[in-house]
Amino acid sequence: MPQAPFDDTITYNQLVNDPYAVYRRLRAETPVVRVKAVGRTMITKAADTRAIKDDAALWSSDDPNTPMERAFHAHTLMRKDGEEHKRERMAMAPTFSPKNLKTIWGPAYEKLANEYLDRLPRDEVVDLFPTLAGPLAARILAVILGIPGASDDQMQHWSQALIDGAGNFGWDREPFERVDHAHVAMNAEIERMIPKLKAEPDETALSVMINAEDPLRISQIFGNIKIAIGGGINEPRDALLTILYGLLTNPEQLEEVKRTGAWGDAFEEGVRWVAPIQVSSRRATEDAVVGGCDIPKGDVVMTIQASANHDEDIWDAPEKYDALRKRSPHQSFGSGPHHCLGTHLARMMLGKIMLPLIFERFPNIELVAPETVVWKGFGFRGPLNLPVRLN
Amino acid sequence: MIELTFVGADGARKTVTAPEGTSVMQAARDHDIEAIRAECGGAMACATCHCYVDDADAGKVGTACEDERDMLDFAETELRETSRLSCQIRLTPALNGLTVHLPDAQI
Ligand code: HEM
Ligand code: FES
Repeated sequence: MPQAPFDDTITYNQLVNDPYAVYRRLRAETPVVRVKAVGRTMITKAADTRAIKDDAALWSSDDPNTPMERAFHAHTLMRKDGEEHKRERMAMAPTFSPKNLKTIWGPAYEKLANEYLDRLPRDEVVDLFPTLAGPLAARILAVILGIPGASDDQMQHWSQALIDGAGNFGWDREPFERVDHAHVAMNAEIERMIPKLKAEPDETALSVMINAEDPLRISQIFGNIKIAIGGGINEPRDALLTILYGLLTNPEQLEEVKRTGAWGDAFEEGVRWVAPIQVSSRRATEDAVVGGCDIPKGDVVMTIQASANHDEDIWDAPEKYDALRKRSPHQSFGSGPHHCLGTHLARMMLGKIMLPLIFERFPNIELVAPETVVWKGFGFRGPLNLPVRLN
Repeated sequence: MIELTFVGADGARKTVTAPEGTSVMQAARDHDIEAIRAECGGAMACATCHCYVDDADAGKVGTACEDERDMLDFAETELRETSRLSCQIRLTPALNGLTVHLPDAQI
């Protein structure tokens, strides 16, 4: 088989500002392609991205040459394989059990959602990114993880510092220094909670991990909490803003969803349309073939779930938000052993609770100047602002 | 090898064989049965491998444990007495000839 073709025309700026136009062209012309701007092979068709993530023996999650370990001060479960990965993941999984979601975290989120909605000013333009989507995602996560003393601002700052550090492929100093400071504060907060949770165990992630019969090493426990901080705020935040944008710019869909109560469809379509995590990397542990191209052992591929979710083989007019379309499985939560641990939590928070609630509280919510909404991001993507008037 | 039959929501039947010890989910994936989505790959974390065991086989297959029942609550389609997560059913010689019915959606 031939090597994947090489593309040196795509720029990093294009990927950050208008990735879907790039991926549309790649799916049509060169669905498996080595892209100079990212130094990786991009995989853009749905069948290929899914097959790679499902074959974890051939495709390792451990990509050693990234800044992630430096940023997280740990080799975390997201980058581990096999039994080692499973043990670390299972240590935290009880917190996210269906029973806990229903009896503890669902009611907790609903109460918080009401409080945060109560605080929003009416009859003036308000940006829902800094006033609702960001802080609420931070608050519920702090509660679930067992570090409720961390403020909304701290949680959001730590999360961004971890993300910026892990994405610091230029190995610049500033992002690492910022995340190093964040670690000092995160460690202090976690350590402060440990004696409390030892004395009074509960279902939070920190408590479940430190009180386990056969606990992980303390460094792994800290690593897990930090992975959740880095990976549990911006996705629900961006998903909420994306879905609200989709519904508010398509009023006829919104009316229909209000009538039928199909908020779950509005949620799934939103995360399909703009996947909050757009890209996941995997390393070939053997020589492999993808889409008719040779991928040599050791090469790292980027599976682009954002592109898989717009694959014309599966969706008509994939570039449009359409809450009324027939559901087809998207890949926004990944698949295989690293399938998102927060999937059911995110579905419940947004699809079951927040979407019906916000339109019930503010039936005439209106998007102000939709053309001023800025979308950005290559690895993670969402709107940077969402100006609305609530009434 | 164990023989088993999948019946689609539209009634289409497909009979396949799979080695003893594999899960019904894995057998479905190995034979491109797309109605078993199985996003988490068998970790009992996604509920996208939901199936209905045929009434005639329900006794042999057994019922879901408590954790499986909890996860089944996240399945997309209606639950019945015979609902199982197909990743949690291991194929044994006793299950030779098993029939499972597939829901019309997993997400
Ligand atoms: C709409 C919201 C969300 C989306 C779209 C999303 C997406 C994803 C994706 C695509 C992955 C897989 C990465 C890979 O394959 O390498 C992942 C993993 C993960 N997610 Fe989420 N996520 C969301 C919300 C959450 C929330 C609220 C949490 C809460 C803690 C969370 C925790 C995790 C964890 C811990 C992992 C790592 C799992 C592992 O490596 O085994 N996610 N997420
Ligand atoms: S494959 Fe995910 S629960 Fe069965």
